[in-house]
Amino acid sequence: MQRAWSLINGEVEPGRGAVFWTAFVCLAAFMAILPLFVGRFTILNMNSFLLMSFMAMGLALLWGVAGILSLGQSAFVGLGGYAYGVLAINFANVTGQTPLALIGGVATAVLLAAIMSWIIFNGRLRGVYVAIITLVMALLFETFLNQTAGPQWLVGTAHLGGNNGLGRFSGDIQELPSLSVGPGSWAIELSGPSLQLYYANLMLLIICYVLLRMLVNSRFGLALNAIREDQERTETLGYDVRLLQSIVFCIGAALAALSGVLYVSWGNFITPSMFGVASNILPVIWVAVAGRRSLFAAIVGAVVLQWASQALALQGEYALIVLGAMLVIAVLLLPEGLISLATRRPRPQVGGAGHAP
Amino acid sequence: MLLEVRNLSKAFGGVKAVDDISWSLEAGETHCIIGPNGAGKSTFFQLLIGRQRPDSGAILLESSDITRTHAFERARLGLAVKPQTLGVFGELTVEHNLRLCLQRAAGGHVLELALAEELDQLGLSGKRRFLARELSHGEKQWLALGMAMATKPNLLLLDEPTAGMSASETEQTVGLIKTMSGAGTAVLVVEHDMAFVRSLSVATTVFDNGRIFATGTLKDIEQNEDVRRLYLGKRGAMKLRH
Repeated sequence: MQRAWSLINGEVEPGRGAVFWTAFVCLAAFMAILPLFVGRFTILNMNSFLLMSFMAMGLALLWGVAGILSLGQSAFVGLGGYAYGVLAINFANVTGQTPLALIGGVATAVLLAAIMSWIIFNGRLRGVYVAIITLVMALLFETFLNQTAGPQWLVGTAHLGGNNGLGRFSGDIQELPSLSVGPGSWAIELSGPSLQLYYANLMLLIICYVLLRMLVNSRFGLALNAIREDQERTETLGYDVRLLQSIVFCIGAALAALSGVLYVSWGNFITPSMFGVASNILPVIWVAVAGRRSLFAAIVGAVVLQWASQALALQGEYALIVLGAMLVIAVLLLPEGLISLATRRPRPQVGGAGHAP
Repeated sequence: MLLEVRNLSKAFGGVKAVDDISWSLEAGETHCIIGPNGAGKSTFFQLLIGRQRPDSGAILLESSDITRTHAFERARLGLAVKPQTLGVFGELTVEHNLRLCLQRAAGGHVLELALAEELDQLGLSGKRRFLARELSHGEKQWLALGMAMATKPNLLLLDEPTAGMSASETEQTVGLIKTMSGAGTAVLVVEHDMAFVRSLSVATTVFDNGRIFATGTLKDIEQNEDVRRLYLGKRGAMKLRH
């Protein structure tokens, strides 16, 4: 128990101690009672913002902790979403089970991530080359899926549907089923504006956050930090750097795919634009502006900046410009993101700050 | 025989950086490799730690062939390294730097004890929460050495361990290496600071043009006319260039 807590509250992940956890619990409580004060439309929006936080946390883990900048995380969101959709369309009506499609969606993305990481890390690619190859991977998917409008692009009863997106091939019905959890008539449907999706999102987010904190503060997490700093040196300390990089890449893909499945469950649609440039760059902006070293900042950044872009979009076509400007300002003034204003550590005093093991 | 190198060669373009070198090190032995710049010392070092692959030849650690073994696997076989560039992780704390080295071998209470002991030995207990980049240059070098030695390796490879150190720090490093050697660890030092080699005073091999130029005790080496000429010649050439 104590060991678990020391992992959760460890020193590697920024944000710890009484002040941080009080703020965390207050925020979680605020989010829990938020539906009492807002309408269905806000919940609908909030659901779509929250579900992308999984991908953002994965990106923070990849980029901020392990030093791997992927510009293709939305490809894993899209792939997870498409795979979920295809499986749900084909099997959900038969079995009534979408959780299996959820697992299938995540597994498909992880499989691709495993192949990609073999290419990337076995080839010793790093830095900007990883960013380029992941973005190219995403754009290849976009290009491929955009030309699947023809009737021959069927997977079972699912039609890939070109730039109209995935749907069922039976006349006009182009609907993807939402996730539905639980047995028979007790099943809870996680549809777009539902409170069920809201609370499922919130609970999953807290669980994933705590688990990822434990991961970052573990031996594995410390090794990832070392890899970010100096790959060769980490290797001479006996760490299989390529294996560790591949594992973290797959974890990032799994989180992104979870976002993708929830996205399809939320909106009952998915199109190739999920693989496009904007979809892939925006998460990098959320994470960079909020602070890529912190999983918590990634969640807050994802939700707040998605909300901000939507608010701006209502005023005109300025959202992307404003977000781009924010990225430039953040990189110039606060390279570690806004979170660094809160976590800036004072230089420790000799002896004073030490603690007994 | 702890480490044995057979007919090792490595060329970059047309330049033979390491040219058919055969050499060996006994368990517990301390040995220096010296030579002018460009003699092949660093390439030899890179080949030993697995960062470069040789064109031909073999490297044997305790009689098993490690020529094609990855750097991380060599580390697991008991080969510790302190690279020429500072081997510390600047953005991690002193404690985390050491934890990285110790955590593969031990866990829980044993790890905490080993960590405290190591911090104490390095005189860095009071600075365990400092980021490594906040340390002085000498302290960073100490930490890097401490990290290389923390795992109690069979063989310690040091690439220019005293680069940028003050005279007293160099003297301390000599003491540290002698302590390691006394505890049964074989130490191989690649260096071009003759003052340091002199105070270490162990068996020494001179490299030149990718080949072994001379080998013997430090005394033999110092009295070797050819070695003197080699060093004097290079130094004279360097003076001319400046």
